[in-house]
Amino acid sequence: MSGARWSIVALVAITVVAALVGFVWLPSAHGDFTAKGVWDMICRAAGVPGKWGDGSAPAKVVRSTSVVLDAAMQKAGSEQSIGRGATLALNCTMCHGAKGVSRADTPNLAGQYPEVIVKQLIDYRSSDRESSVMKALAASLSDADIRDLAAYYASLPKPRNVPVTDMSAVPALVRVGAPMRNIAPCASCHGGIERKPGAPWMESMPKEYLVTELNAFARGTRRNDALAQMRNMARSLTPQEIDEVATFYARASDAGEK
Amino acid sequence: MFVARRLVLAHFWVAFIGFAAAILLGEWQMYVRSPLHAWVDNPVHYYRSVTTHGTVMAYVLPTLVAMGFGYAITELALKRPLIGLRWAWAGFWLVLAGTLVAGGTMASGRATVLYTFYPPMIAHALYYIGVVLVVVGSWIWVALMSINLRAWKKDNPGAAVPLAMFGNVAGAYLWAWTSVGAAVEILVLIMPVALGFKDTIDAGLARVFFSWTLHAIVYFWLMPTYIAFYTLVPRAIGGRLYSDTMGRVAFVLFLVFSMPIGIHHLFADPQVGAGFKFVHALMTAMVSVPTLLTVFTIVASVEIAARLRGGKGTFGWVKALPWDNPWMLAVTLSFVMLGFGGAGGIINMSYQLNESVHNTQWVTGHFHLIFGGAIVSMYFMIAYELWPQLTGCAPLSARAIRLQVWLWFIGMMVLSMPWHYVGLLGQPRRMAYYDYSAPALQAQAWTVTMSAAGGAILVVSAAIFIWILATARRRGTEAALPFTFSVAAHPSARVAAPLNGFALWVGMMIALTVVNYGFPIAQLASLKETSVPAIRMGVR
Repeated sequence: MSGARWSIVALVAITVVAALVGFVWLPSAHGDFTAKGVWDMICRAAGVPGKWGDGSAPAKVVRSTSVVLDAAMQKAGSEQSIGRGATLALNCTMCHGAKGVSRADTPNLAGQYPEVIVKQLIDYRSSDRESSVMKALAASLSDADIRDLAAYYASLPKPRNVPVTDMSAVPALVRVGAPMRNIAPCASCHGGIERKPGAPWMESMPKEYLVTELNAFARGTRRNDALAQMRNMARSLTPQEIDEVATFYARASDAGEK
Repeated sequence: MFVARRLVLAHFWVAFIGFAAAILLGEWQMYVRSPLHAWVDNPVHYYRSVTTHGTVMAYVLPTLVAMGFGYAITELALKRPLIGLRWAWAGFWLVLAGTLVAGGTMASGRATVLYTFYPPMIAHALYYIGVVLVVVGSWIWVALMSINLRAWKKDNPGAAVPLAMFGNVAGAYLWAWTSVGAAVEILVLIMPVALGFKDTIDAGLARVFFSWTLHAIVYFWLMPTYIAFYTLVPRAIGGRLYSDTMGRVAFVLFLVFSMPIGIHHLFADPQVGAGFKFVHALMTAMVSVPTLLTVFTIVASVEIAARLRGGKGTFGWVKALPWDNPWMLAVTLSFVMLGFGGAGGIINMSYQLNESVHNTQWVTGHFHLIFGGAIVSMYFMIAYELWPQLTGCAPLSARAIRLQVWLWFIGMMVLSMPWHYVGLLGQPRRMAYYDYSAPALQAQAWTVTMSAAGGAILVVSAAIFIWILATARRRGTEAALPFTFSVAAHPSARVAAPLNGFALWVGMMIALTVVNYGFPIAQLASLKETSVPAIRMGVR
């Protein structure tokens, strides 16, 4: 069995040499690894610094939103919830229309995904999204009210665009984005290609609203997108491009009060 | 062969039908993102295709070839009927069912997660269930290989296990252990999210578990090829195997060193410590040892064949080789691809050099050259070699085989060399389209066209491959000659005990895995608040 023993000795030797090089020799060449002694250096090489950070709080915390989207928010509400929401929604009809669609250039709410409405109302309530009108209206809403409103609007039929038959009529930004500028296709989050939680349904949204919001994202005056995903997209868009995608999403709808 | 003919044939046909479909997808992908075609309207169609291409080529094809070849070796090398035929069929049906379930999920667009399915991307649960069924079916094969070897050893106490069976069982044990990583990842981390019980997933830990499987799996793919190098090539070209012991050493070294090295896929991942990354890099370098042993041994075996045919001189013997023999051609071309691919692999595994090629098209070039080139070209030869045994057909046309193998080689080089080149220039992999109108990219556009042309050559080669196999019976039937494996130049009656069994090597493999993976996994699993929101794919 000497062959077996030699094999084991050789394997242990290789492993020990590899560990010494990886955990002692190589880190010893880096000042930031060696600053706090040998044991700290080995721990850092193992991916476990003795202390995470220097213990002080970050100088400035930038908060974009307090809402964490989870799967429960995306579920359809109960009938009771929808009923309560319908009553509460009487407060909203002045601007958003009797059935969640209006000509006032306010966003359509009919058929909107529930987690979108929940997130925006909470953001208005906590001033993470600015609007003097909406802040005042949202201030008095409880979490349960917000869930009910979302359930009600989500239960209404979605306004839709005229179906696209010629793909070349769809703006490139919507279909394929602009990869060299790091702009993802609109359709990869807002539906069409894929849908991501928190991304609103946009078909038949008023053009004026879309242009206003895209400009707000681009200027950074609207910043309640949790990971700055919309700010990053909008910042690279030209005014013509903003007009183009807004026109596309706002084009003639076959539903609602328009 | 005794009882496993239809079984092996079923494995091979499903593998090769999947292969033929997946290669068309591969070529479509190359075409639509080349300057020859406008941008694909819906990039998700591209990723759907990539996922299917990768899943079939990486999981279904090699698993079924290894299983089918393994069953054939069991009967041909041990010279007795396969034990557990019914279980083997059950394993086959599981793999087939898994392939269909995963395939349906991918085709319906609910699994555009690529074959690496890295979280936080989450596909429909059926995709993972399909993959798990494929793996579970292959575990039956692992058990049967072990049982058959054990039974043979019991009846032949002290006898040397035939080299082909030794390599086969080494591959089975390697697969059993390496598949544990992805199995844990899927069952413990991914399934609860895919089934909707959870919204978040520990993506860092999941990637570490996947790396456990991801690198060693390539040595599982490679095992049938190495078995062919050692036990079929020397015989097929009329020579002798230079050293039987060298073959055993290479197989056990793969067993020990292919497992605990996967973190070299995670060099850019912040959740793993730099020390472990280096240790994994060094152990990856150790895998070049059995590879170089093999290259040396097979070249020496080939030289024996040349000298037996009257070859003379230091290099003059090369001319005496049987160049019209398809095996001679195939092993040469396979070694050329293995050489380029292996050299590229050493760059990938180097902790520092990896930085310049990480996630570029270079990596795609690397694994196509090694796996699609060096390894799969030997899968073709294995099928050609076994076909008369399996179907009772007359010997296949050497001309057609040579043409097919040449086209595969040319196609693979034309496909993958431009990838290596633009990878060095920084072209990212996994892109549905490139913006050739951008000045920085314009000059690289020709490389994508060239790869698409290489892919087209591969499609032609694959079609010839299927045609040769499908029309074999039309060439007439003949009673198959008794199947033989290579004979060693110095056949020794006695094989060193450790090289006639696996206990020591499997023990070393597991111990090394615990050393190299134990701490990173335990540490990541114990960290709090490491989960991120899952991103569900295929929701429209």
